[in-house]
Parts: sequence; structure tokens; C-alpha cells
Amino acid sequence: MLRAAMVASDENGNGASMDGGTARVRTIIVAGQSSQRTRKVLHALRGFTNVIWPTSLESALAQTRSNDAGCLVIADDLSEEPIDEFLQEARELRRSLPIFVITDPDDVAEAVSAMRHGATKVIEIPPSYAALCDEVMRAVQ
Amino acid sequence: MKELPQTVFVVDDDDAVRNSLKLLLKSAGLHAEVFGSAPEFMSKYDAAQPGVLVLDVRMPGMSGLELQHELNLRGAAIPVIFITGHGDIPMAVEAMQHGAFDFLQKPFRDQDLLDRVQRALTRDTEYRAKLRHTDRIRERLASLSPREREVLELVTQGKANKMVAGDLGVSQRTVEIHRAHVMQKMEAGSLAELVRMMMAIARQP
Repeated sequence: MLRAAMVASDENGNGASMDGGTARVRTIIVAGQSSQRTRKVLHALRGFTNVIWPTSLESALAQTRSNDAGCLVIADDLSEEPIDEFLQEARELRRSLPIFVITDPDDVAEAVSAMRHGATKVIEIPPSYAALCDEVMRAVQ
Repeated sequence: MKELPQTVFVVDDDDAVRNSLKLLLKSAGLHAEVFGSAPEFMSKYDAAQPGVLVLDVRMPGMSGLELQHELNLRGAAIPVIFITGHGDIPMAVEAMQHGAFDFLQKPFRDQDLLDRVQRALTRDTEYRAKLRHTDRIRERLASLSPREREVLELVTQGKANKMVAGDLGVSQRTVEIHRAHVMQKMEAGSLAELVRMMMAIARQP
């Protein structure tokens, strides 16, 4: 079950860019059940503004459809739906949206499946929180 | 023209792997050709030959990923199934980002490889059929006169004959005649079919 959370946005929900600029910051959508891994991903992204963790997959898809969406991070298993199906739905909604999928280290089969279903990149965590932040930074800039 | 047979090309520097894969593919009724290195494959590969490439990632000299890159540069659309005993996620992601059909880690079950090979062969058949279809459309397009091309472009934008006549500075009757020639030369039964043809060639480089 996904839980609601709004992470690191300012009181207007607009936030500022990482370099302190005032350009509109695009939303980083994190999808994943309430698990240690999802929390670690959210923690890794704490330096970003406009990180959202929608309450449900429907809500995550609705956010994905929004023009403000900068990228989608699928942090963990989604208890309501297989990751590949959710990924495919999100990809069909937004052809050009960067979608990053987090996998366990060395789970090559899952990584290949995610790529086949529309992931832009698969990042293994741990150890690569830095790679995740780099990818997200590029996606929202 | 006679269709070339579908072939499973196997490129692996390990003799034992090459031979066992050849036997496996043969036992499944598939035609296989094996190569010990990427350059050996490249020297003999004909892009007109339909099939699938089963490719080892790590090989001395040119690696599997480098061979994939080279094939992409040459515009070869053959589906590539990578096989590797030492795969990791960045390697798999790179291969898939560059259009690999699949990425399998050794050891794999024989049936897993055969299933993927069959799916890749189906995709190759479908792709080549689409390519032949768009080639035929392009041939028909090349048979149009410059004026007929102009009429085609305007009518497929949804413009009525009267508007086309205005745009081109000719009479409506002239547009009707050109339009009839376009439909005949393009072998289109309706405007909708003509639009679909133009969309098909726009989608395919």
C-alpha cells in the first residue's frame, strides 16, 4: 500500500532549483510501497524540491500525465500492480518522460524486463544513490 | 525474388558454447551459422538475410556491445540477444538502451533461449514485412510528377480540392485530374488509405 508524502517542497509547493535559481522545478514522482527501500530512495532525493510520493498508483499516473512531471522513479515493488505493467502504462501516457527503476544489485533479469517495458534507466541500489541523484538532476533540469 | 532463409547467427569466442548452441538450434529446426569473433561475423554478414543474432558480450578484440554499436551505425535492424556469464546491470541497461532484443545470463535453460529466438525471429519477420510495404509506397511515390506530389501533400493535409486549387493557382478540375492520377499511381482506394500510407513512410526512416 502506498502512503502519502510530500517531501522537501516549500510551502507553495514550487520549490527552488538545486543551484538556487528561480526557474520552475519539475516534479519528481516516486512510486513504491511503504518499504525501507522506498524510504531510502526518498532520503537520497532529499536535496531536491518537488519530490512527491503519491498515495496510490492511480495518483502516480495522474501526476505522470501532468506537464509538470520531470521524471518518475519506481523505487520498489508496487503491491497493487506488477512493476512492468505500471511502467508500461506510465510510458504510454508520456513517451518522453524519464522513468528510472530501482532494482536490487545484480538483478539483471528484472533490469532487462524493466528496460523492455519502457524504463529509461535501471539503477541498482545500493550502492548507487549518487547515480540516481545524477539521473534525476539531468531529468528535471 | 526468392526469400532468404531465416538464420540464427551465433557469435561467441568459446568453441564449446558455439557448438552446443548450434546443436540446440538445429534440434529446434532452426538454421544456424556460428562465428568465433565479431570481425568474422561482420565480414560475412549480409543485412538482407533475415534472422537473429545471438551474441556473447565479452569477447577478445571487438566485444559484443561494440559489435551492436557497429551494426547500429550501419543501420542493421537484426534483433540481438545478448548472452553472458558475467553480466551486470549497467551492461544490460546499455545493451537494452541500444536496442537489444534481450539479455540473457548464462547459465540459461535451453528453452528460455529458444523462446527468445523464436520471438526475435517473429519480430524480424514483421519488421521486414513493414519495410517491404514502405518500400512499395516509396516506389509509387517516386512515380508521381512534381505537381502530383504537391496535390498529394495538400490533400493528405485534409484540404478540399477547391482549397488545393487556390493554393496551387490552378483550376479545381485540374486538381481533380491530378488527384485521380495520385490515387491510381499510389494504388489507394480512399483518402484515408492514402493518409495511412504517408504516415507509414513518415514513421520509418
